Amino acid sequence: MLTPTKATITFSDGVEHDVPVDPGQSVLDAALAAEAPVLFQCGTGSCGSCLAHLEEGEADHREGVSSSLLPSERAQGYRLLCLTEPKGPCRFSVGYDSAAGAGRPIEGKCFVNAVERIASDVVRLELELAEGCWMDFRPGQFIQLKVPGTEVFRSYSMATTVADLPRIELLIRILPGGVMSEWLTTQAKVDDVIDVSGPFGQFFLKEKVRAPHVMIAGGTGLAPMMAMIDALRAAPGRKPKVILSFGCQTPEALFNLDQIELRSHWMASLDARISVDRGEPASGVRLGNPVSALTAEDGLTADSVAYLCGPPGMIEAARKHLEALGLSPENIFAEQFVASS
Amino acid sequence: MNDATPVRRRTTVRKNEISADRMNDEKTQSQYQPYKDAAWGFVNHWYPALFTEELPEQAVEGIQIAGIPILLRRAAGKLYAIKDQCVHRGVRLSAKPMCFNDTSIACWYHGFNFDLETGVLNNIVGNPDSKLIGKTGVTTYPVQEVAGMIFVFVREDDFPDEDVPPLSHDLPVRFPDSSETYPHPLWPAAPSILDENAVALGLHRTGQTNWRIACENGFDNAHILVHADNAIVHAMDWVLPLGIVPASDDAITLIEEEDGPKGQMQWLFTDRWTPILENKDLGLKIENLKGRFYRTSVVLPGVLMVENWPEEHVVQYEWYVPITDDMYEYWEVMVRICNTPEERKKFQYRFDNLYMPLAIRGFNDCDLYAREAMEEFYADGTGWDNEQLVETDISPVTWRKLASRHARGIAKPGKGVTNATKTSSIRMRRLAQGKAPGYKVEKIENVNSY
Repeated sequence: MLTPTKATITFSDGVEHDVPVDPGQSVLDAALAAEAPVLFQCGTGSCGSCLAHLEEGEADHREGVSSSLLPSERAQGYRLLCLTEPKGPCRFSVGYDSAAGAGRPIEGKCFVNAVERIASDVVRLELELAEGCWMDFRPGQFIQLKVPGTEVFRSYSMATTVADLPRIELLIRILPGGVMSEWLTTQAKVDDVIDVSGPFGQFFLKEKVRAPHVMIAGGTGLAPMMAMIDALRAAPGRKPKVILSFGCQTPEALFNLDQIELRSHWMASLDARISVDRGEPASGVRLGNPVSALTAEDGLTADSVAYLCGPPGMIEAARKHLEALGLSPENIFAEQFVASS
Repeated sequence: MNDATPVRRRTTVRKNEISADRMNDEKTQSQYQPYKDAAWGFVNHWYPALFTEELPEQAVEGIQIAGIPILLRRAAGKLYAIKDQCVHRGVRLSAKPMCFNDTSIACWYHGFNFDLETGVLNNIVGNPDSKLIGKTGVTTYPVQEVAGMIFVFVREDDFPDEDVPPLSHDLPVRFPDSSETYPHPLWPAAPSILDENAVALGLHRTGQTNWRIACENGFDNAHILVHADNAIVHAMDWVLPLGIVPASDDAITLIEEEDGPKGQMQWLFTDRWTPILENKDLGLKIENLKGRFYRTSVVLPGVLMVENWPEEHVVQYEWYVPITDDMYEYWEVMVRICNTPEERKKFQYRFDNLYMPLAIRGFNDCDLYAREAMEEFYADGTGWDNEQLVETDISPVTWRKLASRHARGIAKPGKGVTNATKTSSIRMRRLAQGKAPGYKVEKIENVNSY
């Protein structure tokens, strides 16, 4: 009985993965089984996606199997991992980094399409990625913008999805004395160019969840929820029930209500609740905080998922409240919005 | 990024500004933005694909719906539908069908063999030990056959099997089940193709118009003016109004029951709509004598039902099945319940000799050219912003909003599929050969000649 040997795969960013390879198994199959982030496509030696360079040890393509690799390339130590069987411990390098293909952040430029004050302290900033610049991201993730004329970066969740690219919409809270706020309110104009990088963040929509979705948003914490709702709406299959609870402190601070109304029209399973803490709410707007808008009558179950975005206090309260309503803690995902000074 | 590289905007078309005083102002329009985005159709819906007689035992046909190439095969009495695009290099399997058994079909180019039930790549003719076998495959589509029509559930690749709704959710409401909800005192209950002994007679043909333009024509109550001179109207002495205008705020009822089709019912020939029989200023008067009461309704994904048309006990169904963004397959079907062979024969005779030439052709031919007359205004997208709507357009606008709310998915613009690249030289050559772009895949008939 032969025992497994070890193949080490080194990515261009220096990350190494040790992979146990069984006798007769290809390095590719072994790497996939070990969840090493190698690229591949056909798995049959023709497409060349799993190209790697043998750095140490002895490993060659399976006997008698042809491949699209040229003999000269093979002589230089190149191998297709789908056909390669190690004869002992060996080391391969690949020409891409360990995050390749998985929404790797990019750095680029974008244009300002629109700057619009939509509430007492909120600006809607619409950007458009410049020619030659593109990014892949998940609904709920954020980007960083370099405030023009400074070396300061600020992070904002995207209110739009990849389907809207090259257009990106951000909902930005205006803070007295804030660097970005200062630029947005006094200088920003259509056609300005901004440095952008992203996507970043682990707060994003989990795919193919059929259980009810709860989204609680305070202030501009609404942005990632807009993206998630649009993604849920576009996903194939029966739409899950979605409860969006959005709250601001005063009626003047509310924004995007027409956009939320449109989503409610487009997606029959969306139930949107709008709250204000104080002041005199218009009809259809409740007085109270967005957390208390969820009650036992909503029939939430342990497998329901919740997305929370807003100030730390709201998130803490929402977590407690939802757990009391029966949600399982591991199904509650949160992004805290903290003001930068 | 290299600072020396100039930063350029992408070249994009700017949308036209919409005036706020129009009936379909920007706010109304945004309510049906998903509909405006559906140039290639709605997906995850049931569509008619072929008549039963077009797919005999062992036949293979390739069609395209909403930019999705679909292959249909009947083998050992069973119907199958799979994506008609080989995973290997994109060849349409239906162009030269190669079947080695009753449960699979091979791509005739490199021999990728797909299981018809699961879509899985289960063999490669000249490479039976390939490591790729079992690891990939093509999408399969649920199929159902009723009243001589084959329906396919046209879905996105990852639409789950368990979410596939019953066919009845994508067909018009049924009578007498709905006779209380949608009473119709002027005619007998309209039959349904789902009824026992339903016989559906008709045809399908390709129209060179976006499917939405075609669909909106069917239930537009001002469009009947185009039919004023049609032969059947005068041969039968029918009273066909110049137009029918809404007369109350409940002229249209939304069909939105949880567990059923989604659409709208128009209460024609009730006091909620006024037929216009005379226009004095223009010196027009309908002089015909025989009342021809009917009612139109439409449900997703764009199925028209004209009750009591063209005669009692008969209903006309129409589908405007999107093929690409500028072509649709026009289905015109008359349904009647025929409980005996004699009734069937009689219906067939009347259909062949009266309704086929004068209604399905004749009358509806007129709709085909009318829709084409509207196509160019909408073809580049600007028509949706520039149209100036009027009272009778509550019908299309209500439909647009309803469709935006209940459609199960918006088809992505066709990529890598037939007729997606409008300027391809193959398309040009076919045109030069006198073959208009269409619905079915043209088969390679003679293997030694081209």
